[in-house]
Amino acid sequence: MKRIAQDISKYWNYMMYSAKADLKSEVASSHLNWVWWVLEPLCMMFIYAFIFGVIFDASEQYFSIFIFIGLTMWNFFNKTVTYSVKSVKSSKSVVSKVYIPKYLLIIKKMMVNAFKMMISFGIVFCMMIFFKVSPTWNMLWWALIVLTLIVCTFAISVHLQHFGVYVEDLHNALRIVLRVIFYMSGIFYNLETRVPAPYNEILLKGNPMALLLDSMRKALLYDQNIDWGILLVVLLGSILLGLWGINRIYKNENGYAKVI
Amino acid sequence: MKNKAIEVRNLRITYKNFEKTSIKNSLFRFKKIKSSDFVAIDDVSFDIEKGEILGIIGKNGSGKSTLLRSIAGIFSADSGTIDLKENSVSLLSIGVGFQKELTGRENIYLSGMLLGFREKQIKEKEEEIVKFSELENFIDKPVKTYSSGMHSKLAFSITAILETEIMLIDEVLSVGDQHFKKKSYAKMNELILHEDRTVVIVSHSISTLNDLCDRVMWIHDGKIKQIGEPKKTLEHYQKFMNK
Repeated sequence: MKRIAQDISKYWNYMMYSAKADLKSEVASSHLNWVWWVLEPLCMMFIYAFIFGVIFDASEQYFSIFIFIGLTMWNFFNKTVTYSVKSVKSSKSVVSKVYIPKYLLIIKKMMVNAFKMMISFGIVFCMMIFFKVSPTWNMLWWALIVLTLIVCTFAISVHLQHFGVYVEDLHNALRIVLRVIFYMSGIFYNLETRVPAPYNEILLKGNPMALLLDSMRKALLYDQNIDWGILLVVLLGSILLGLWGINRIYKNENGYAKVI
Repeated sequence: MKNKAIEVRNLRITYKNFEKTSIKNSLFRFKKIKSSDFVAIDDVSFDIEKGEILGIIGKNGSGKSTLLRSIAGIFSADSGTIDLKENSVSLLSIGVGFQKELTGRENIYLSGMLLGFREKQIKEKEEEIVKFSELENFIDKPVKTYSSGMHSKLAFSITAILETEIMLIDEVLSVGDQHFKKKSYAKMNELILHEDRTVVIVSHSISTLNDLCDRVMWIHDGKIKQIGEPKKTLEHYQKFMNK
């Protein structure tokens, strides 16, 4: 524990600078530069809203915001997890020349993705004003849900980072698994009403992603109470899983450079 | 009695040939794959005193770079210990992960922070680095526009001017054109000869090691074959190699 705090504070500046640099280099060579961060999720939202709202005739209230919340949180999870599998290999030039606690690579990437997620949530809030969603106290759950999402994503990513070093084709398998989770989380449809019982309950309780999305929508859009008990369980479980992962990285990371 | 800067005891480092695997391999092969260990460093012990310059020589694949990297903390030892006595250490090698889209100046900060320096410390040295690298006109352009020579000049300048107490040098005494080569060689000398600095150099150049080092270690197949006086050790090494 002490070592984690020490390492994070030691490399904090580097992570911040490097995350900023990542964002900068992403937009440096394009014409629209940062506009892409707004444009991309917006366009995706329009596509899904058209397909599922018009063609499949979904009838949820505030359907475009409904989808947008889903995409915002999914993108954060998806991008971080996908990166983590290849993180050590793709940072070979750094990893083979200096020592850096390897899980910090994930935290750095999470900073980048969290920044984009915040822009996305900014758009969500603008849309909520535009569609006249009335503000409620339930909206304050937002903070807890985002925190849980971040910790949960990190916990899964550290373990994937470790296995990604040794198992060459893990990213292929992961792509499929992620696609399954994508459809099982109800990003563009309402799990609770569209999936027949008892499967909807199982999915909502067993798939943290579905739980997080569902809670977020309830809190922001529909002024319903969320099941914060389960959320806390997920958060706590993620913290433990994450610590276990960090411990695993500490034990093994100096062997990584020999393999990549 | 001088202080020790590095203490290496019974160091052993192996590479496993079958570390990497795929899902297919682990699912469909029920026979245990025999992994053959390749021993890169075998039971090596030595001390380096503070301010000493140690040269390491040996044929290709004898474990020199592995040893250097394990001192830098990048490789873990399978058994044995390396004690750096809490000195800061940097491995001087070409190009600590530059980000190609960013400017040279930004990369100076990025590399510096990666080596464990604070933003303020880098700011103080920034101008010196730029000046030494002779890239004044290009420093605010993205690194991807640099030629390979400019690339290595910048890398050299960063690691040479951001000094650490222990420097590990892996065959980098020649970068850039004739002019810069001379300059970097002079800078290296200045760095290396600084009396508080402990230096470990891996090189194939007999003359370099002879000029710079206090002691030379000859590694052969992961073991220390000889360690001591540069002149003697290098003579034996040359004789051995010419056989």
